[in-house]
Amino acid sequence: MSDARPSPPSRPPQSGLSARGLALAAGGRTLLSGLDLHVAPGERVALLGPSGVGKTTLLRTLATLVDPAAGALTLDGQPPGALGHPAWRRRVVMVAQVPAFHDLTVAAALARPFAFRAATAPFPEARARDLLAQTGLDPAAVFTQRARTLSVGQQQRVALVRALLVAPDLLLLDEPTSGLDAATTARVESLLAETPALSQLIVTHDPAQAARVATRVVDLAPYASPAPGPPSPEAP
Amino acid sequence: MTQGAIPLDALDLAIASGLVVVAGITSLALGTGLVPRLAVASLRTVVQLLLVGYVLEWVFGLDSAPAVMACLAFMLVIAGRTAVRRAERTFRGATWRAVLTLTAVGLGTSLTVTALVVRVDPWWNPQYLLPIIGMVLGNTLTGLSLSLDKLLEDLSERAHLIEADLALGATRWEAGRDAVTESVRRGMIPILNAMTVAGIVSLPGMMTGQILAGQRPIDAVLYQIVVMFMLAAASALGATGVALFTWNRLFDSRHQLRSERIRKR
Repeated sequence: MSDARPSPPSRPPQSGLSARGLALAAGGRTLLSGLDLHVAPGERVALLGPSGVGKTTLLRTLATLVDPAAGALTLDGQPPGALGHPAWRRRVVMVAQVPAFHDLTVAAALARPFAFRAATAPFPEARARDLLAQTGLDPAAVFTQRARTLSVGQQQRVALVRALLVAPDLLLLDEPTSGLDAATTARVESLLAETPALSQLIVTHDPAQAARVATRVVDLAPYASPAPGPPSPEAP
Repeated sequence: MTQGAIPLDALDLAIASGLVVVAGITSLALGTGLVPRLAVASLRTVVQLLLVGYVLEWVFGLDSAPAVMACLAFMLVIAGRTAVRRAERTFRGATWRAVLTLTAVGLGTSLTVTALVVRVDPWWNPQYLLPIIGMVLGNTLTGLSLSLDKLLEDLSERAHLIEADLALGATRWEAGRDAVTESVRRGMIPILNAMTVAGIVSLPGMMTGQILAGQRPIDAVLYQIVVMFMLAAASALGATGVALFTWNRLFDSRHQLRSERIRKR
């Protein structure tokens, strides 16, 4: 069961992100159905599941970038429409596995979200430099580099820093360390562990990483719809 | 010294068609394979222009506002369809959005010129209104199709960048603004180029026509300046109008990019 644990009694029952009866579809095919998920404030949840099960689509849905085929989302009891979708996405920030950057320097790319109307504070440049250093990047070297010219692993770290600067309630991380070596992965995991107030939903293929970074693991396989195609000869 | 227009007859057209035959022989010699297309294009030019000439003579003779409006409606629908078909990608509802844009922009700019600058009476006088709106539509549909093509290309191929902005709290306007402005810029390029070289590299068609018809060059120039300003306004407004219509269709009220609504031809 994905969410058997009751919410802490000290918080209101709907505190955090809730998804109820969620069904996801992509390309006319149902990926997941009947998914109930709750991420309480400060909770770190790892999402496991086979390739193609819909993990990325689930994150995109929770970020309200796409609509679910069925079901409802709430954040602290409020649906996205009540909060406003841009405001929702400031509080529930998705970091894609392959980050996308406009043709900007790293400094400009990090500052970009602070030019949006949803921004409530100016770009915290000192904190940006500090976070880059914590992920193993040299701020003085990368700040003036074009973000697109960095390696995938470096881009992943810049994208993570960009998301952390926005100071969301919940981070949706899609394979955040897939392009990193073991030492840098450890740095990133340590950075994420040092922000206890931040809820995290982390997609990973690695059960060992799930055990390291998460307080709870959700396996999506039971909610997966069977893939289309000819029936397997071994099937009963 | 100026003189009135010299009327042409069938023999004159036959001599002129000799020039196309020369172009055909050149194409044949070079093996471009364009001879059949050149022949069809030449035939279409003759048939279409003769047809429009007779239709215009008929409409001018009717002296009827409803007949002029019917002509306008026909021209607007054809221009809208053509503009959308020229783009490499499209979406459901693109044609009526293009027609609506062309109607607002075409009528707005043409009537400004006929009613306020040239002061035609009545305002729908087909001798002025139809050629002027024809010029406006011809130019605007080029700008409009370029703008539409660029915007749909960006919303398809740069969707990941737009979604990255949306995922960080950008509104649909903040996420789509760069694509919209870039598409308007693309749509403005032909008229800006035409204005830049007008009178230096080429004499604009309308001005040439007026001079051939016996107008004093300076009078023809004044008309051409008005026409250029009208076409610049129409191109800018047409490209902007279709870009905003498209943006509004492809970003929904939940600030999501709906690039699945775009289809390639």
